Amino acid sequence: QTAIKWRFQTYAGAALGEHVTKPVIDFINKAANGELEIELYYADQIVPTGELFQALQRGTIDAVHSDDDSMASPTPLQQFGGYFPLATKHSLDVPVLFDQYGLADIWREEYAKVGVTWLSAAGQDPCNFNTKKEITSLADLDGLKLYTFPTAGRFLSQFGVVPVSIPYEDAEVAVQTGELDGMAWSGITEDYTVGWADVTDYFLTNNISGAWIGSFFVNQQVWADLPEHLKAIVMAGIEAGHTYRNQWYWGGEARLRAQGDKLQLRSIPQEEWVVVEDAAKVFWTEIAAESELNAKIVQTFRDYNDVISKAGPPYTFG
Amino acid sequence: MSYELIATLMFSSMMLMLLTGQRVFGAIGFVAVVASLVLWGDKGGFDLGFAAAMKLMKWYPLLTLPMFIFMGYVLSESKIADDLYKMFHVWMGGLQGGLAIGTIGLMVLISAMNGLSVAGMAIGATIALPELLKRGYDKRMVTGVIQAGSSLGILVPPSVVLVLYAMIARQPVGQLWLAGVIPGLMMAAMFIIYIMVRCWKNPTLGPILSAEERDMPRAEKLKLLTAGLLPIAIFAVMMVPFVNGWTSLVESSAIGALAAFLAAVVKGRMTREVFENSVRNTLSITCMFMWIILAALAFGAVFDGLGAVKAIESLFTEKLGLSPWVILILMQLTFILMGTFLDDTAMLVIVAPLYVPLVGALGFDLVWYGILYTITCQIAYMTPPFGYNLFLMRAMAPPEITIQDIYRSIVPFVLVMVGALALVMIFPQLALWLPNYVYGN
Amino acid sequence: MTRFMHRYIRVVDAVNYRVGRVAMYGIFVIMGILLISSVNKTFFTPTLWTLEMAQFAMVAYYVLGGPYSIQLGSNVRMDLLYGEWSLRKKAWVDLMTVFFLIFYLLVLLYGAISSTAYSFGYWGTEPFSFFSGLITGTEEIGHMERSSSAWRPYLWPIKFVMIIGIFLMLLQCISELLKDVLRLKGEEI
Ligand code: NA
Ligand code: NA
Repeated sequence: QTAIKWRFQTYAGAALGEHVTKPVIDFINKAANGELEIELYYADQIVPTGELFQALQRGTIDAVHSDDDSMASPTPLQQFGGYFPLATKHSLDVPVLFDQYGLADIWREEYAKVGVTWLSAAGQDPCNFNTKKEITSLADLDGLKLYTFPTAGRFLSQFGVVPVSIPYEDAEVAVQTGELDGMAWSGITEDYTVGWADVTDYFLTNNISGAWIGSFFVNQQVWADLPEHLKAIVMAGIEAGHTYRNQWYWGGEARLRAQGDKLQLRSIPQEEWVVVEDAAKVFWTEIAAESELNAKIVQTFRDYNDVISKAGPPYTFG
Repeated sequence: MSYELIATLMFSSMMLMLLTGQRVFGAIGFVAVVASLVLWGDKGGFDLGFAAAMKLMKWYPLLTLPMFIFMGYVLSESKIADDLYKMFHVWMGGLQGGLAIGTIGLMVLISAMNGLSVAGMAIGATIALPELLKRGYDKRMVTGVIQAGSSLGILVPPSVVLVLYAMIARQPVGQLWLAGVIPGLMMAAMFIIYIMVRCWKNPTLGPILSAEERDMPRAEKLKLLTAGLLPIAIFAVMMVPFVNGWTSLVESSAIGALAAFLAAVVKGRMTREVFENSVRNTLSITCMFMWIILAALAFGAVFDGLGAVKAIESLFTEKLGLSPWVILILMQLTFILMGTFLDDTAMLVIVAPLYVPLVGALGFDLVWYGILYTITCQIAYMTPPFGYNLFLMRAMAPPEITIQDIYRSIVPFVLVMVGALALVMIFPQLALWLPNYVYGN
Repeated sequence: MTRFMHRYIRVVDAVNYRVGRVAMYGIFVIMGILLISSVNKTFFTPTLWTLEMAQFAMVAYYVLGGPYSIQLGSNVRMDLLYGEWSLRKKAWVDLMTVFFLIFYLLVLLYGAISSTAYSFGYWGTEPFSFFSGLITGTEEIGHMERSSSAWRPYLWPIKFVMIIGIFLMLLQCISELLKDVLRLKGEEI
């Protein structure tokens, strides 16, 4: 019996992919004992990230790890993936939203319509800013050219941010060539891991969302053809990867903020940051008005945020 | 079929297709799409070729390519370098072999204004070469001087070759450019030393300019020096805003192109014909590059998608068990060999999927390797049977210079370049000191 | 047949010549966009659209200029052997090898068409029937693909330009093929 082979492309470059995707693939390959062999490719390696979704539908790529936003998902879910402004506080919020508050069903259903099987979502790090210039007030955001997620970029542009869209692996170079002033893309763990901490100087502790929402996807036909026991192995590998990432980020964010020596921490005072939080509420309302499905998802975020704000710390920041 | 076998098949069929003399992008593209169809079939096999076009569009540093090409053509077509040449002529003419040394100086300045070797070749062959021959300089030596000197265009910043390398190796263009400065100047100095030694041993190779030819009022002599200001001004207008972070690399290249264009207009050299030639040649060279890169990206994606890169990596490091330096030297030797047959873009196609990840995996600095790569490209430019400078020289040289002369002229300069390559390999700081100093904090 | 070939060559070369001559000035469009970008960035606020617009302009420049660059004969060849051959032998070999080029361009063209269909919201694998369906009304436009930037331009226009460019490139290569056929027949071109 010959092995089933998958080509798997992740949103992450090689340095980050080592932590966010590779453990999943290694687990599956080992557990599948030669029955399924997945080959992992990093950002833009086989197809550019912008073409990733079409490639997944066609089967050029068999499976993908990415957020809906950066892979330009053609579903209405696109703007909710990645960092939906101020939607979450901690990475555990994401599995709760998906598994307890029903987002998983919506995701599964919407992707089935476009020929793709959605497998699982997880939370990762918050979305902070790392920049060459110091940011201590909202006014400092004005005119900053930042590498960020499409939806986050649209939201931030009201504060004068100029979002720049380039391939992930080019972002570090782009800071040096002056195409970028920094990133609004990740927490501090990633800044250090991928080398962005080497080219920027400051880290803003305010985040525009507490956890990245990213998913694992697979081509519909390819998934249908996979024997049940291998499906179970794939799902187990993904879950194991979620656990690893939760710890890696949670520990990394604390350690590098406290002990990292490449990025200096800065904050915009909470009195001023409220402006951003209020803008997010307006943004939510706008997005909700676009369609019934959007309204349903935004309502889910509202319901959950109501619950955690009543629950208080550690669910909220105090 | 094993990965090694597929990789070998892809490469050998590409080389075979190249030998038929067809357009390079056709050969690479054909192998790429056939391989993707065979391996992916209707599961997206048709899409990979076009996906490369989208990838190419998103690679923003490629925008500098047409800008630098345009800049080079404006400089050479408008002949605004004439005064520059006169300056070196008068100031260096009194030395043994002085005009040849001055020509190297001219080439360094031209290199600082454009990203390819074409402009240097055109200026060298049309302005400098006839004058040198008229003054009784040895034809073989000066033919070599111009070919070697103009190849500095890709090592001294700005450099198109380093932009392409940066894209493939994902290394910072700014650092690569800075890394090229010292090796570029060092190589120019090595050329000059070579010329001086030869002319000292055999003064007939580079006779001293007669006194009456150098006889010129001091004021006029000093005025000629201002010709040197033009390239410095163009270089400054382009690089100062970039280094200060006012403009990005891509924006700066447009400023440089505009500056060269305006300089030609102000000097009254932008005739209809010059304009037509610059604009048309820019299109034709840019198209050539872009279509090759387009095909090469598809080739690379398929090659990568096969897992061939991983296979070759493990072949070298695990199966053969060679030490990193042995692998690097072997690679550089094969690379020089390939360079004699191929042009730089085609070499990049081969280097990209094979060498760059391997060099990285071996733990070498990829900025440093970029300089080794570029020096190898310089050698490739001059060595028969395939080299741009060789072709250009053949097309532009005056009739008394035969093909034999051209082929023989390059020998000593290629040896000097190999020497420079070895120096940069042994002393990586030659390349890395400046970028570390500038970007170091 | 020979008359048809002559006419084909004349028409295609003339069309591509004109398209290429227009595309040629695209260098100033790219330069202009980047200069606007520099000025805005240095003196005012950076602009959202310039980098992406310059990229679109560059794609149009090299894709539409491609056929003209073939006419100008600027595409490099490895002339290790080729350079030594007689004109007749070159024509014979070119006659064969141009089919490889044509094949590559056909695959590229198919990819461009299917990617453009995707940018109109078609998820299937029959882009041609989708486009004919659009005309007859049996298919409709779905989710329009946009660039993932804050500027969010639609992507179909640039993909459409690429279809045109690749198609013209294909026509030009067929013209080169016919020229070789005529050359081998001993005709003047
Ligand atoms: Na240069
Ligand atoms: Na060569």
